[in-house]
Amino acid sequence: MFTNSKRFSRRRFLGVSAGAFAAGPLGPFVRAACAQVTTFKAGVITSLSGENILGGNLTKRGYDLWAEAVNAKGGVEVAGERFKVDMFYGDDQSNPATGADAAERLIVQNEVDVLFGPYTSGSTIAVQPICQKYQVPMISGSAESPNVWKAKPEFNFGIIPAVDTTAGKSLAVLAKLSNPMAKTIAVIGVNEPFSKETGEGFRDGAKEAGLEVVAYELVPASGDLTPVISKIAALNPDIVAVGGHEEPLINVVKTSKSLNFRPKALIMHYGVTDPAFAQALAADADGTCGVSVWLPSVSYKDDLFGTAKEFAEMAQKKSGHEPDYTEAACAASGLVFGDAVKRLGKKPGLTPEDRVALKDAIAATDIQTFYGPIKFEKEGNHYHDNVQPVPVLIQIQGGKTVAVGPKEAAAADLTYPLPAWK
Amino acid sequence: MDLFLQTLLNGLLIGGVIATFTIGFQLAFGVLHVIDFAVGGWVVLGGYLGYYMGAGLGVDGFLAIPVAFMLFGAIGYLIGPILYNVRNSRTARPELMALALTFGLFTLLRGGMLTAWGFNTHSVPTVLSGESLAVGPLTVPLIRVAAAVFAIAIAGGLFLFLYRTRYGLAIRATAENRQNAALMGVNIRRLSATVYGLYAGITAMAGVLMGAIFSVNPEVGLRYTLFAFFVAVLAGLGSVGGALVAALLLGVIEAFVATYVGSSYSLLAIFGTLFLVLLVSPRGILRHGL
Repeated sequence: MFTNSKRFSRRRFLGVSAGAFAAGPLGPFVRAACAQVTTFKAGVITSLSGENILGGNLTKRGYDLWAEAVNAKGGVEVAGERFKVDMFYGDDQSNPATGADAAERLIVQNEVDVLFGPYTSGSTIAVQPICQKYQVPMISGSAESPNVWKAKPEFNFGIIPAVDTTAGKSLAVLAKLSNPMAKTIAVIGVNEPFSKETGEGFRDGAKEAGLEVVAYELVPASGDLTPVISKIAALNPDIVAVGGHEEPLINVVKTSKSLNFRPKALIMHYGVTDPAFAQALAADADGTCGVSVWLPSVSYKDDLFGTAKEFAEMAQKKSGHEPDYTEAACAASGLVFGDAVKRLGKKPGLTPEDRVALKDAIAATDIQTFYGPIKFEKEGNHYHDNVQPVPVLIQIQGGKTVAVGPKEAAAADLTYPLPAWK
Repeated sequence: MDLFLQTLLNGLLIGGVIATFTIGFQLAFGVLHVIDFAVGGWVVLGGYLGYYMGAGLGVDGFLAIPVAFMLFGAIGYLIGPILYNVRNSRTARPELMALALTFGLFTLLRGGMLTAWGFNTHSVPTVLSGESLAVGPLTVPLIRVAAAVFAIAIAGGLFLFLYRTRYGLAIRATAENRQNAALMGVNIRRLSATVYGLYAGITAMAGVLMGAIFSVNPEVGLRYTLFAFFVAVLAGLGSVGGALVAALLLGVIEAFVATYVGSSYSLLAIFGTLFLVLLVSPRGILRHGL
C-alpha cells in the first residue's frame, strides 16, 4: 500500500522533469565519451526497386560478398586489430534524385564512414555532390559512364573503366576477328546516361575501326523496338551494336527474331555477362557478343577472396549464379576501402577529418586484387576512374559466356557470321 | 515503299498489342468509375503465370491464357466489392479514395511479386514466339498478329456481350445511370464485382501475350499502367471501341515517328497527339463512353 511519503508528488515530478530537460543536451557528449565504436559503417546506395532492380541487386550482392568475407576473417585490419563492417542500404528506386536523398540519409542518420556507389551512372552522378557536400568518400563498383569522371569528382572513385575506353576497343577487336571482314554497323542506344554513352562509344569506335555507321538510333527505354529494328533491317548492316541495360537488350533480341532479322554480329555492352540474359532468351541468346573487363578465368588473386575462380565459386554458392564483372568490381570496392583504411591507420568512429584523409588514402590506391589491378587516374577525363583493366570481347556460346578476343585472351573462336534464326 | 508498308504494319500490330490491356481498363472505368492504376499489376501477373506454366509445367504460353482468365477473374471478382464499397462510401472524395486504393493494390502486387519471384526478367515461351511470316516484302511477326487478333476478338466479344445480352444491358444501364439501374432491379454490387473480375481476367490474359512479345519482371507494370491511361484518355474514358481505335492510332504514330523522324521523338509525338486531342475533343476521339 502506498504511503504519502512514497507518492510521486507534483513538486517531485516537476523537479525530476526539469532535471531531465536540463540533462538532455548533455546526452551526445556523454554518449561520445562512453560509447566505443567497434565497427566500420559502410553505406550502399543502389536500385533495390524500379526498372534497374536486377542490376541493383547484383551490385548489392557484390558489396555484400566483400562484407561477409571480411567479417568472416574478423573484419578490416587496422594497426594490428580487426574491426567488423556493418552494411547500411539506401534504395534509389532507379531514380537519381531519390539516390541523392538516400545518400544523404545514410550519411546524416546512419553516419556511415564510406559509401558504395549505385548501379546506374545516372544515380552516381546525382550522389556525387552529396559526397562532396558531406566529404564522405564513395567507391563506385558499377558506374561506367564517362560523364561520371569528366565532372572530376573529388570524393568518388570508380572500379570499372569508363565505357568510352572499352566499347570502341571491343568493337575494333570484333571487326578485326570478323571473316569476311565486317564493313557496316548500325548502333542503337537507350536514351539514358550509361546506355547513350555506350552507344556513342560504339559509334566513335566504329569510325576508328574503319566501319561505316549506317544508322545511329537513340530509343526510349520503354518504347517498342519494332520500328527501329525494321529500319535497321532494311539497311542490312554487318554488325548491330546496342547500348542498354538488361531488359532492352533482351527485347532487342526478341524483336529481331520476330522480324526474322539477324545481323552477322550482334554486340552489346553490359548485361550480356549477366546470367539472367542467357536464361531469359535461352537458345536465342547464343551468338550475342558483349564486353567484359573481368571473367572468372582471369589469373588475378588477392588475400581475401583468393583467385578469380575461387571468388566466382564463392559467389555462385551464395546466389546460384556465376558472377559477372560488375558483381566482381563491387566486391573489389570493399578491398579498396579495406586497403585504404589500413594504410590510414584509423580505427572505427572516423571523424570528418579522418574521412577526408580516407579519401586521400583511396586516391593513392595501387593494389592487385582477384578483379585485377586497381589504381585511380589522377587527372584527365577519367579522373578517379580505374582504367587499368583490359576489355575482353565475349560471346555467348551454348548458353555459356566465353572469351573470344583479343587473341591472347580468347578461349574459343568467334562465331561469325551468325547463322539465320531457326 | 517496302519500309513504309512495314512501318504501317508494325504500327497497327503494336497498336493491337496496346489495345489488349486497355479494353478491360475501359470497361472497369465505364461501370465502376474508377481509374484502376493496378492495370499494370494484372498484366504482369498474367505474364508470370505464362512464364511459370511454361518453365514449370512445360506447357505453351497460349494454354496459360484461359487459366489466367479464370484465376485472375476469380481474384478480381473477390476484390471488386471492396473497390465498390470504397467508391460508393460516404467519405469525402470517394473517387480519390478509390484511386488511392487501386494505387495501393498496384504497389502491393508489385512488392508481392518482387518478394515472391525475384527481380529477374523472364520470357513466356509460346509456339509463335520469334516466328514470322514473309508476305511479299513484309515480315509479319506472328506473336504480334496473335495479340492484335486477341484484341479484336475481345473487343468484338465484349461488344456482343454488352449489346446482345440482358447482362450486357444491365452493365450499360449501370454505366449510364447507377441509381436508375438499381431501381430497375440490377444488383449493382454484384454487377460491379463481375465487371471487375471480367476486367482483371481480360487484362491478365493480355499479360500472357505481353510476356511473350516483350519480357516480364515486377517493374514493367508501371509502363502498362501509363500506356493504358494514355490510350483511355485519348479514346475517351470508358469507351471500349475507342480504346481499339486510339491504340491503333498511337501505334501507327509511334512507328512512323520512330522510323522516319527518330525513335527519341516517339514519346514526344504520343504526348503531343494526346495534348492535341484533349484540346480539340476533350471527351476523346469517339466522344462517347461505354
